[in-house]
Amino acid sequence: MSARVIVRDLRKRYAGVEAVRGVSFAVEPGEIFGLLGPNGAGKTTTLECLIGLREADAGDLQVCGFDVRTQPEEVKQRIGVALQSTALQDQITPREALRLFGAFYRQNEKPETLLARFALEDKADARFATLSGGQRQRLALALAFVNRPELVLLDEPTTGLDPQARRELHGAIEQMKRDGCTVLLTTHYLEEAERLCDRLAIIDRGQVVATGTPAALIAEARGAQRVALTASGPLDRARLTALPHVAELQIGPTANAATFRTARATETLAALTALLAAQGLETVELTVRKASLEDVFLNLTETPAATEAHG
Amino acid sequence: MKALREHLALALRLHFRNRMALLYGYLFPLIFLVAFYVLYRHERVPLLRHMGELLTVAVLGGACFGLPTTLVSERERGVWRRYRLTPIPTWVVIASTALARYAIILTAGLLQLGLALALGMTLPVHPFDLWVVFTFTAFAFIGLGLVLAALADTVPAVQALGQCIFLPMLIIGGVAVPLAALPEWAQHVSAFFPGRYAVEGLQATVTGTGLAGAKFCLLALTLTGLAGVIAGAKLFRWDAQERFAARPGKLWLVPAFAAWVAVGGIAEWRGRIAVPADKELAPPKAEPAKTPTPAASPANAPAATSPAPVSAAPALTPPPAVTRPLPPPPPEPLWMKLTLQDTEGLDYRLPPDHGIVAPFAPIDEAPEDFMKELVDGVRTKLPDWPPGAEGDELRCVRNLLYVAAVPDAIQMPVERYLPRVVYERMIDTYPRDRLIKMLTYIALNPEAGMVIDDISELGIEGTAGDPSVVRERAYLYALKFLLRLTGKVSE
Repeated sequence: MSARVIVRDLRKRYAGVEAVRGVSFAVEPGEIFGLLGPNGAGKTTTLECLIGLREADAGDLQVCGFDVRTQPEEVKQRIGVALQSTALQDQITPREALRLFGAFYRQNEKPETLLARFALEDKADARFATLSGGQRQRLALALAFVNRPELVLLDEPTTGLDPQARRELHGAIEQMKRDGCTVLLTTHYLEEAERLCDRLAIIDRGQVVATGTPAALIAEARGAQRVALTASGPLDRARLTALPHVAELQIGPTANAATFRTARATETLAALTALLAAQGLETVELTVRKASLEDVFLNLTETPAATEAHG
Repeated sequence: MKALREHLALALRLHFRNRMALLYGYLFPLIFLVAFYVLYRHERVPLLRHMGELLTVAVLGGACFGLPTTLVSERERGVWRRYRLTPIPTWVVIASTALARYAIILTAGLLQLGLALALGMTLPVHPFDLWVVFTFTAFAFIGLGLVLAALADTVPAVQALGQCIFLPMLIIGGVAVPLAALPEWAQHVSAFFPGRYAVEGLQATVTGTGLAGAKFCLLALTLTGLAGVIAGAKLFRWDAQERFAARPGKLWLVPAFAAWVAVGGIAEWRGRIAVPADKELAPPKAEPAKTPTPAASPANAPAATSPAPVSAAPALTPPPAVTRPLPPPPPEPLWMKLTLQDTEGLDYRLPPDHGIVAPFAPIDEAPEDFMKELVDGVRTKLPDWPPGAEGDELRCVRNLLYVAAVPDAIQMPVERYLPRVVYERMIDTYPRDRLIKMLTYIALNPEAGMVIDDISELGIEGTAGDPSVVRERAYLYALKFLLRLTGKVSE
């Protein structure tokens, strides 16, 4: 089966600034694909170009086999979208909104079905203005499903929600996958990306800097194991830096403590133990933590200036 | 079509849930109507002469404020941005929004009409034609509303732009201030505002000749409406982030307002600038001599407010002999059959003599120096003024009344003093009993006869423009003269 989304060399410029610089990725049927990146990285712009809210300056965009720019009507018939925040009229009710949006499509789901699926039955006839943030976001998801879409695109779906509402929404997105739906979501929450996504594209400053499953990305970053050390006396920065495979050394918060990353933990720790013994220092605390997605993310998205500061 | 139907139904439902929208959409037009009712409370048929203005105000408010406010506020909230993610075509959104607004405006107009009828107004002469012209008016202003929605980035901007259109249209566009009361330059300017054609067209269906008298108005409204709808659709914006200043295609504004210029140009070219002629505003009436009975009041005179009809056989007093045979010799003037009961039965609820409408200076009040010459001039010329001295004496009395009525309709400073001149001239010319009968007849048949709107031969320059106002004031002066002649008011 062909990819649900194909993005090739997407470029978009605003007022002289290139917000998206040659982004490429593909989303396969049935997977949850995440665009992960810091704020302003170009995730939302990429998504908005795909759903027709913005016109790309260059690049090839295909959704469900249709060209986004020449066949927008066919694309819109097949996708469901939930934006970061969905605004509707204050006086509209969820039931009315689902009925109205359903009328815009060739095929549609019954409002009652969607109300039940997204736990909105109790609020079916409440005015939009009276809904909580979580209820509004569930309604946004329900609206995304009103046309039985082949592909659902979610732009930072849990931003601004409390932990309870976020958990509920994670459950709803996982259910989409179980139902066989393809999902493309943007997020800057690492744990959300790690929990929900089958594959990720990490975007930074308008470019894709890594693509793969969360596990593969972490495995690739295994060389970034983090060591935290507290000794009985002051540590010598120059000698620690000279240890094999040490990177990103930081002394602090006291002169007795240091953190660093290493590609080969065993080799580095053996040399470290020898160094401490030679200096007559005792090890008060020593931890070695495997790389997380956060490490991968930070490693890939840190600005040169930030890296220098860490060093 | 399903999308259009659903969006139309929802737009209407949401409108009726919004208290502020209801307030602006329905209450304001009614407040306007009540204000007009109070302002023109002395008119014989309440509000009848003002329905064109009132309905135009209702349409203007709904289309130039209500429509763009709804569109822009929903765009600002992001509702339209969400709609844009669906396959709904732009034209469906515009059409359903415009149709919903038409329904809202139509119900506001019907409410106005209903209240006016409840206050004593008679039914419009051409109800179907009224609906047709109302629809064209709504089309024209909805087009304008769409343009305003495209121009304005925020709701406050809608209010500001709306006022820029609304107020000039009201004040010098012939919507709230009668064209006849405006200086000539303003009458020329008004020809470039669609509000003028809305008022004229609507009024022609309420008191005039219907669609036949509103052809040019319909053309003008269609042109402005089409240009507005096309420009509004071309400039339609889904997203509040897309500001008007940064938007391409701004030249589409040109045809929208070029239509106004074109309509004004055609009106100038066809010489339609002067205020409407008598035949266009008032239904043609037969001369009194041709009226079968004095009871045959005009078709549009209300039962509730018109003076009591004369009985079919009122001739309890023998008709006096005709003293001055006039060509063609009437067998017996109908007014001669009127009795004192007919005079007594008239409705004497009149505006005060010291007021603005039909003022009447006390006998001992002399005009100021700068007016004295004018008043004396009229007094001198009046005995030789042909319309008041030659021919049928009933017609002469009616024409003399216009000498008091025209300055009042124009609101000239001299208006307070001329009624006394006219009254004295009548008393000097006609026997008291005959004069009472003639004035009673005129009060019973105020729509009869031709209106004289130009008395420049007497040194009074200017015309009232609207003959129905002149008739109205002549009717009021006939009653005021009767009060004095019958001793109800002593001087």
